[in-house]
Amino acid sequence: MSERANGHSGHDVVVVGAGVNGALLANRLTRSGLRVLLLEAGPATAWTFDGYTRHLEHFYTATSKGAESAWPPAANAPQPDPADVRTGDGYFVQRGPSPFASTYTRLQGGSTLHWLGVSLRMLPEDFQLRSRYGVGRDWPIGYDELEPFYREAEWELGVSADVAEQAHLGIEFPDGYDYPMRRVPPSYSDKVLADAVDGMAVDVGAGSVRLTVRNYPAARNSIPRGDYRPVGAVDGYATDAAVHDLGERCAGNTACTPICPIQARYHAGKTLAQADRRNLEVIAQAVASKVLVDPVSGAVTGIEYQRYADPSSPRHTVHVAKGRSYVLAAHSVENARLLLASGLAGRGGAGDLIGKGLMDHPALYAWGLAPVPVGAFRGPLSTAGIEDLRGGAFRARHAAFRFDIGNDGWRAATGAPDSTVAGAVTGAGLFGTRLRDHLAQTLPRQVRFSIAVEQLPSPDNSVSIDPRHVDPLGNPRPVLSYHLDDYTLAGMAAATEVYRQVFSQAGIQDCTDPERGTWFPSVPYGDQVFHYHGMGHLAGTHVMGGSAESSVVDPDQRSWQHRNLYLVGGGSFPTMGTSNPTLTMAALTLRTAKQMTTELAG
Amino acid sequence: MSERDGAVRPTAAVLTAERGDGARTEEFLALSELLTGFGRVWLAGTGQTDSYLSVLDAVLPPGVLDELLTAARGLPRGADREAAVGPAILADPKLGPVARNVILLWYRGSWTALPAEWRAAYGTSPLDTDHVVSAPAYQAGLQWIAAGAHPAGALQQGYGAWAAAPEGAGR
Repeated sequence: MSERANGHSGHDVVVVGAGVNGALLANRLTRSGLRVLLLEAGPATAWTFDGYTRHLEHFYTATSKGAESAWPPAANAPQPDPADVRTGDGYFVQRGPSPFASTYTRLQGGSTLHWLGVSLRMLPEDFQLRSRYGVGRDWPIGYDELEPFYREAEWELGVSADVAEQAHLGIEFPDGYDYPMRRVPPSYSDKVLADAVDGMAVDVGAGSVRLTVRNYPAARNSIPRGDYRPVGAVDGYATDAAVHDLGERCAGNTACTPICPIQARYHAGKTLAQADRRNLEVIAQAVASKVLVDPVSGAVTGIEYQRYADPSSPRHTVHVAKGRSYVLAAHSVENARLLLASGLAGRGGAGDLIGKGLMDHPALYAWGLAPVPVGAFRGPLSTAGIEDLRGGAFRARHAAFRFDIGNDGWRAATGAPDSTVAGAVTGAGLFGTRLRDHLAQTLPRQVRFSIAVEQLPSPDNSVSIDPRHVDPLGNPRPVLSYHLDDYTLAGMAAATEVYRQVFSQAGIQDCTDPERGTWFPSVPYGDQVFHYHGMGHLAGTHVMGGSAESSVVDPDQRSWQHRNLYLVGGGSFPTMGTSNPTLTMAALTLRTAKQMTTELAG
Repeated sequence: MSERDGAVRPTAAVLTAERGDGARTEEFLALSELLTGFGRVWLAGTGQTDSYLSVLDAVLPPGVLDELLTAARGLPRGADREAAVGPAILADPKLGPVARNVILLWYRGSWTALPAEWRAAYGTSPLDTDHVVSAPAYQAGLQWIAAGAHPAGALQQGYGAWAAAPEGAGR
């Protein structure tokens, strides 16, 4: 490789990972005239309309219809699977003491292929946890600095919401701004719950708080405002721009995860399809295996990658990609894993922090039966939440949390409606008209909350590698150490109290029984046991900060140790608050893209 | 089936096959009506009748499905018919688990592995595993109709339809 001159292949920037962050960078950089090489570890099967449809067929015939069920991995780019959490035998090497329960997808399009689309901004106070509440750490940038990029991200991802409903808990918008599309209509279930709950007061330790059932911003196409043009289904090989108009508006498929059949919900392929293709080269089935660094200057000199033709065979060829600047946008775990596999950790300062501080939103399910039919199993998977306990002075003592109110009955918590039918037939012995009547009276009343709880960074929660554990291409697998601390567990206890009060207020019969639901890992807290699942909100593995001693990347997500290397994504988050991280990641990445464009194209 | 009066009489073998299959399908639908609470227009309308019969024939040991259909033939006519399904079929150690699986097939479009004790007593098949019969079968599951909904990921109801009150909401 040494004979190859820097930039011999004509690329200005090499980006690893074609998920939302890689796609945003590729889009912005190519449209600024920079030539980008995008390496994707997994196949590009979702990149064509027909390929995407085959993933949909895969979902239809999958026995388990979990988040990854439409997206089987390639053997050479393995990924964690929810089923592995129980067996402890999957891509992740789980060191415990508690299993890490979240997953992600290694395909072109990344985990946005199966996300829910929740696009909440972080709260202004989320950026200042240490100075305001004495816990966690502060971000080196604040809400005001990120706000313009939140707006840009909301337009790029296509977020539907009404500003009038979203300006709360300190979130402010500039005069005249509104989201590019009107809010997705609330479900009937949301309205029934709001009628019962809005205005009720709860206290989680810092005074009375009034609750509101609130529509949340969602990256799902709704009715556009002004001249905004929603992007529907895309086909990566189509040259006709009109193909971008396929699909468009959310039609209520009730399948945001694992797969929106009509691509009304955002995925990274939409952003990639709108890059300037003349300046973009995408290589799928190309696993980045090593970041090559000049030992004297610390500058990155190339990305070594393994290219495989057959996803089921480990046969591959090794190449080196070269550019002027490099970006790792491979996901929180994969970014850290790649840096560690490249021998770039443990050199003091920033190097010691790589992989440390892994965060997620450990989450609880609560489920019950509403007193009247609320129309479960219709609409987007959810349309509203209860956000009022995302912020407040109680955060000095325990974690904040938010409720996501499901429109899909008990599906996520118990496997309904299949499990409800099986329980009625096999358990209760029902058949015939009594069975049909029972299901008609039960299924439309199912209510489910998903309660996402904040987790602070801890050096004990980490991604590392161990040469004894490798994948089929010989790359080290991620070794995860993970636990839930008392701050999070106390938040779970408070959230449990609140959901019970909400259920009681709304006349919802509490049917929450983790022993009868889908299996999830558990952790004791006092005389309680919490069964938690992962939200897929991974963060914190290459923390952003104000100095090379205290962080891995600077506020531009640029590596302190390797100045032509950027590490983007949730890994940069110093803390995560309670918002689903994709929108904040996108805002940070758009900010980085602006910085890179100024430097490289300027 | 109008094989009776043809000028050219079919061979005995063809006659048996045609009469047998048609009668078998009819008996299967009649039993399925009793088991699911859905009429035959709904059942036949799923387009899955033949597919489910094929699954049953492939997974069950030889003769078990016909035994179930024979038991159904013996059910009384009239008002007592549905009530007789319990003692005559569902309570039977051999036929009960099979009949419950027939219900699950119609409601979910998937086959459920028979209980271990059933397999130990009556035979096993490598095809007797939890699996979705097919993509169309998944979409045709009666559970979605019973719920007043649509199969997740298919047959969507349209923008904003989820805001409307469901049947029975009292509005």
